Amino acid sequence: MIKVNNVKNRNEGTSAAVLVTPSVFLLIAFLLVPMIYTVYFSVFRYQIMRPQDMTFINFENYIKLFQDKDFWQAFKNTIYFTVVVVPVQTALALGLALLVAARTRGVAFFRTMYFAPQLTSMVVISILWTILYNSNPSTGLINSMLKSLGMESINFLSNKKTAMNSIIFMSAWQGAGYQMMIFIAGLQAIPASQYEAASVDGATAFQKLVYITLPGLKSTIKYVVMITMIQAMKLFTQPYVMTKGGPQNSTKTLVYYIYTEGFQEGNFGYACSAAAVFFIIVVTMSLVMKRLTMPKD
Amino acid sequence: MKKNLLTIFSTVMAVSLTACGGASTTGTVQDQSTQAESKTADGAASLTIWSPTDKESVEKWWAEKIDEWNKANPDIQVKRDAIDRSDSYAYDNKVATAVTSNSLPDIFFVDGPQVSYYAANDIIVPLDKYFTAEDLKDFVPSTVAQCTYDGKTYAISATESSVAFYYNKDMLREAGIDVDDIDKRTVDNPITWSELRNIAEKCTTEDHVGTHIIMDHGEGIPYALEPMYISQGKDYINETGDTAEGYVNSDEAVKTSAFLAQLIADGYANIEPITDEFLNKACATMLGGSWDVATLTENADFDWGVTYYPVSDDTKKAVSPCGDWSAAISKDCKNVDAAGKFLQWLMNTDNVATYAAAIAKPATRNSSYDTESMAAYKDYPLSLMVEQLNHTAVPRPRTPSYASFSTKYAEAMSNIFSAAASDHKVDEAYIKEQLDSVAADFAEDYNTYYAK
Repeated sequence: MIKVNNVKNRNEGTSAAVLVTPSVFLLIAFLLVPMIYTVYFSVFRYQIMRPQDMTFINFENYIKLFQDKDFWQAFKNTIYFTVVVVPVQTALALGLALLVAARTRGVAFFRTMYFAPQLTSMVVISILWTILYNSNPSTGLINSMLKSLGMESINFLSNKKTAMNSIIFMSAWQGAGYQMMIFIAGLQAIPASQYEAASVDGATAFQKLVYITLPGLKSTIKYVVMITMIQAMKLFTQPYVMTKGGPQNSTKTLVYYIYTEGFQEGNFGYACSAAAVFFIIVVTMSLVMKRLTMPKD
Repeated sequence: MKKNLLTIFSTVMAVSLTACGGASTTGTVQDQSTQAESKTADGAASLTIWSPTDKESVEKWWAEKIDEWNKANPDIQVKRDAIDRSDSYAYDNKVATAVTSNSLPDIFFVDGPQVSYYAANDIIVPLDKYFTAEDLKDFVPSTVAQCTYDGKTYAISATESSVAFYYNKDMLREAGIDVDDIDKRTVDNPITWSELRNIAEKCTTEDHVGTHIIMDHGEGIPYALEPMYISQGKDYINETGDTAEGYVNSDEAVKTSAFLAQLIADGYANIEPITDEFLNKACATMLGGSWDVATLTENADFDWGVTYYPVSDDTKKAVSPCGDWSAAISKDCKNVDAAGKFLQWLMNTDNVATYAAAIAKPATRNSSYDTESMAAYKDYPLSLMVEQLNHTAVPRPRTPSYASFSTKYAEAMSNIFSAAASDHKVDEAYIKEQLDSVAADFAEDYNTYYAK
């Protein structure tokens, strides 16, 4: 009997290895190798057009990076975006999920509507919102509405005080639909009997939310917060399309900074050092987040 | 520990796109088979060309010309990949990524000021063997200068470009401006900055602004605005292309930038202009490209005119922009002679003329203007562009650090303009700070990679 089990386990192990191998190769080719190269290039003076003139300069790129005010501005912007967009988007997604979770007639329409922005390319959405935000009331729908209400038009994307918040608003609008679907799945996993028992005990809707729904969604919320945070840290498309990192660097994020240094200005080695530091920042934040949300023994 | 490792691993997966994310934003190739073999199956030389995707008439021109060449030259077969130029730097990024993987095409098109950058980095090879000094005599001086680096010709262009001052005559008349006076201006007597400002001020109403400043956050800014700096007395960079200190951050440059920013601060120009702002009657005047003549001729439903690029009140020195995309042979080309032969044919008088007509830009060859395709350039308004090219055109700085300069300068000017729009005033100290930063960044790039 033991022998049969051993053979079965060995066969399962072989099948698993066969199934996993392609993914492992892909991970090595497209994740580990680029990462190793990134760290390797980061200690070289490497102009993207002069690969033949790569010069080993030890940690010079890192020293320069930490002295670069643009890098710190990009870091600050990225953290600001993350700190604001994560709670806003999560709360919005949860709110929408609570609204459309009920299995009532017509709710599928609203679910589809809320999810629809997810199906559209972020580039397309960014272009559309650039037009919506345009400072000229004859072009920008939002300023047109403000004008019709007798208000002054706002330079949403060309004023450093409003540009990042404008991007945050549209990003939360675009991203909430996806998290909403995750929350709906989480809500459906909460036994209906708990709500029924609470109703019998005379609990209000708010009490049900606080004592049944939110505790029941705890692990879902953790997951949503984690993925939203990682996505937020990678912010690139919106500033690239809408503001080019401006005005006055107010929407320049770390990924956008890495891109401009590496590809537009050709400082490839330097950009790699920024990418390596960015990686460490994201991993550190993920570990902190995990530690904070981990159940205490 | 195991959980932490899992977290790190999952984060690696999430972040990984960033590590190689730049490529995804670069131009995409319409024809996926980007890398041509140096020989076809039947032994003929095979050449691949990259050039930016363009309007239908240009795409049609390419298809016809390549077909014509391939039929006449079975020993050298050519194919072209049209690369999306989705924004101001996307095409350059595509080239940059190809350099890192040694996968450049045989021939690729380069924007004028990038010629020096690619030449200094040995990305492109000299063309003197295929275009002699005698051949180049037929080309307008501005294009020859732009395509020359370190005394050698590295690229060859079929077309040139220019920028001039467009005005909506209906709006100007309504504002009480003497349109006839502007119509009569000559290359020796163009309008001045103060006249431009006066027109912009008078033409700014509830419905439209007085003028338009390019806001592409990219190469369009240094391209279109450089003549203002030269007219005021200082170019962006010195003659030898090795320093911007005392040039882009000079008092003259601060004054020029302040003049432009003031137009925005006063509300005479939009910080976020809509597409085709002049055509859509959202502005009364603009500094527009030579290519806008065709667009306006076909689509404008108002009376418009175009006059010479405005000059500084202080110097009255007339200067105009120039430069266009040029063909170059890459370092990865395996059949340089075949590529040279193809370029000689591609840049002959007739091809230059028909290409220039298709793309609606002035031709680089003087002889092309004698052909029927270029007949329209004998008359106003296109004759004005040719006149500027021959008398006032100054190519952008020839320096290997141009790519870095262009990005930093465009960013600085965007910052200056947005500050002016937000504060409704111009802060010269802030302008100086921004331009100092451009000069410092230029010095760092040049000294790090190119200084001998």
